[in-house]
Amino acid sequence: MNPLESLRLAWRSIRGHRLRSALTTLGIVIGIAAVIAFVTLGASLQAGVIGDISPDDQRNVYGWAAEPDSEGGPLAGAQPVFTQDDLEAVEDLEDVEAAYGYATLQTQAISNGEETVAQGSGMIASGPSYIREERITEGRQFEMGAREAVVNPAAANQFEENVSVGDTLTVAMLGGQQTEVEVVGITDNSEGLSPFEGFESSPRIYVPTDPYYTEQASMLGIGAGGGANTGNQSGAGGDAGAGNQSVTGGEARFLAIIVEAESADQADIDAARESTTDYLESDASDASELLGDDLEVQLQTSTELLGQLQDVLNLLQNFIVGIAAISLLVGSIGIANIMLVSVTERTREIGIMKAVGAQNRDVLGLFLTESVILGVIGAILGTGLGLVAGYLGVQYIDLPLVYPLEYVAIAIIVGIVVGILAGLYPAWRAARTDPIDALRYE
Amino acid sequence: MASSGTAVSLSNVRKTYRIGEPVHALDGVSLEVPRGSYTAIMGPSGSGKSTLMNLVGCLDTPTEGTVVVGGRDVGTLSDRERTRLRGTEVGFVFQTFNLMPRLNAVENVALPQLFQSIDRDERRERARNLLERVGLGDRIDHMPNELSGGQRQRVALARALVNDPAIVLADEPSGNLDTDTEADILDLFDEFHEGGTTMLVVTHERHVAERADRIIHLLDGKIERIEELDGAGGSQAGSPAGRESGGGDE
Ligand SMILES: Nc1ncnc2c1ncn2[C@@H]1O[C@H](COP(=O)(O)OP(=O)(O)OP(=O)(O)O)[C@@H](O)[C@H]1O
Ligand SMILES: [Mg+2]
Repeated sequence: MNPLESLRLAWRSIRGHRLRSALTTLGIVIGIAAVIAFVTLGASLQAGVIGDISPDDQRNVYGWAAEPDSEGGPLAGAQPVFTQDDLEAVEDLEDVEAAYGYATLQTQAISNGEETVAQGSGMIASGPSYIREERITEGRQFEMGAREAVVNPAAANQFEENVSVGDTLTVAMLGGQQTEVEVVGITDNSEGLSPFEGFESSPRIYVPTDPYYTEQASMLGIGAGGGANTGNQSGAGGDAGAGNQSVTGGEARFLAIIVEAESADQADIDAARESTTDYLESDASDASELLGDDLEVQLQTSTELLGQLQDVLNLLQNFIVGIAAISLLVGSIGIANIMLVSVTERTREIGIMKAVGAQNRDVLGLFLTESVILGVIGAILGTGLGLVAGYLGVQYIDLPLVYPLEYVAIAIIVGIVVGILAGLYPAWRAARTDPIDALRYE
Repeated sequence: MASSGTAVSLSNVRKTYRIGEPVHALDGVSLEVPRGSYTAIMGPSGSGKSTLMNLVGCLDTPTEGTVVVGGRDVGTLSDRERTRLRGTEVGFVFQTFNLMPRLNAVENVALPQLFQSIDRDERRERARNLLERVGLGDRIDHMPNELSGGQRQRVALARALVNDPAIVLADEPSGNLDTDTEADILDLFDEFHEGGTTMLVVTHERHVAERADRIIHLLDGKIERIEELDGAGGSQAGSPAGRESGGGDE
């Protein structure tokens, strides 16, 4: 029998039991909807986060020093080991375009003239090239050593009277001391610029590490040579000649550094990474005395760092897929069950068909088609429901909507496979029905 | 015997069911059904009539002996070949009509051709013609539950004829019909018989059997006797003294 005819006949018998067929597909609908909704969320989350790595960020290598097996993403277990001298030496390396420290400065409040807003950690200290020129819509990059800042729109707009280039903000640091910054530039949007910050939109003020980080660090004793938290290690590495040189009156040490390669080519990135590591781990660096045997310099691109985030996301995704698989299993048992009922109910019809010349494979095909239709209907409904749920979820957490269309195809294939698996036994039972018995069946 | 003029031939057919004590539903039956003949089968309940029909209809195979339908020995065929033979050489009409409940009249008639992979339009065309011949030209889109018993049996008859079978098998075809409707169906049988179709009809009722050329009387799985009726068929054979020929295996 021609498959189109099987389809026509099977569709008829499904339509003959609308409610029953609809209920039968429910397990499949829920399973597929869960997967599609979650995958939509995942893909949108990824687009929201990874999509923000502009091509220019791709040549940045983000570094920190931690024990080799520390887990938990950027800066996990990081120790402040990098000095400004180290960074200057790294920047002079052949494969390196630029190198600077990175630090988040704890603030209490920020005032624009009379108006003051509370802001906890919105000040980010880094090098000038951290904010790429093309992302500055107004003004320019700040200069190292100057009391200047670039703000993002969220930071500029949080005051009644919007901040504009040329304004001066007064910042109350966590320790209570006041410092001033002159706004010299405004960025194009409020998303984070690197994985160190995170990519979510929030008010941020970008300042040079010198003077802002240097001041705060010496005030709090962070990373100062001979400071309490680094004393032991500095003792261990004390035999190096370079070590003594760095302990010059409380020089600030950075927890995090950013090294820019010549280009985003993997070869250039690797070269920059390699020469930076070589230098930092050599006796010539200030960092080496603190690295000791325990700490290792980690240098990763944002893509690599996001890979770790991706791992977490994948784990969650596998979990949801596992639950969905159970739902699909239950769904296919439901289909198998209804198909068995249907085969029994239609014993007489099967007998008639066989008596008038239906081959076993015709009957098999007919019932298999029916269960595949049920599976596919479940998959289509589930996909629709999942896409709607995914859309609502994405709207709710305010991410760019990305539909993982390949999963729609996968869902339909899953529907077909589930239909075949669930229908196989009932269809086989139908096919081997003895027509004489079937015709006698009441 | 020559098979050219023979639609069906059975020789020494035995069908034994073993549920504890073996039951010989058929016990050594030999029979020739000539092409274009009209044969009735009578006998008490349990005498093996339906069993015989199942064998001739290629639904079943004999325990012993041979059943030849359309020139082929049914017992030696594979299941698939037997099904094919059943689809093309045989048409069934049942006491309970056995129409597909979710197919309308024309689709029910066309059903056997579906399994012979005949084109949809061609199927419909042929089914429509047959329905017209059985007087249901105005009912082709009706579902079985929208038809009377007699109309359903006419649909079943049209379906039995759709593949141009060598033989039409009817197992108590008028058992569920009132007298007038029964007469309509039997008239159609006559009409198709006159058109050259071989008819084999099981019945309990003498007046139904008398439409045939001959009556085979079964008893306990054996042919008790074969009663030849006068060619014209029908009512003048009302006397029990039709021409009788010697019984099967006595
Ligand atoms: N599948 C089976 N298993 C066991 N015995 C069977 C089976 N089919 C038929 N029989 C037996 O074979 C014998 C003949 O049955 P069959 O159905 O051919 O009778 P019949 O002449 O058609 O009777 P009726 O007029 O009541 O329809 C009966 O004794 C019956 O019990
Ligand atoms: Mg019977």
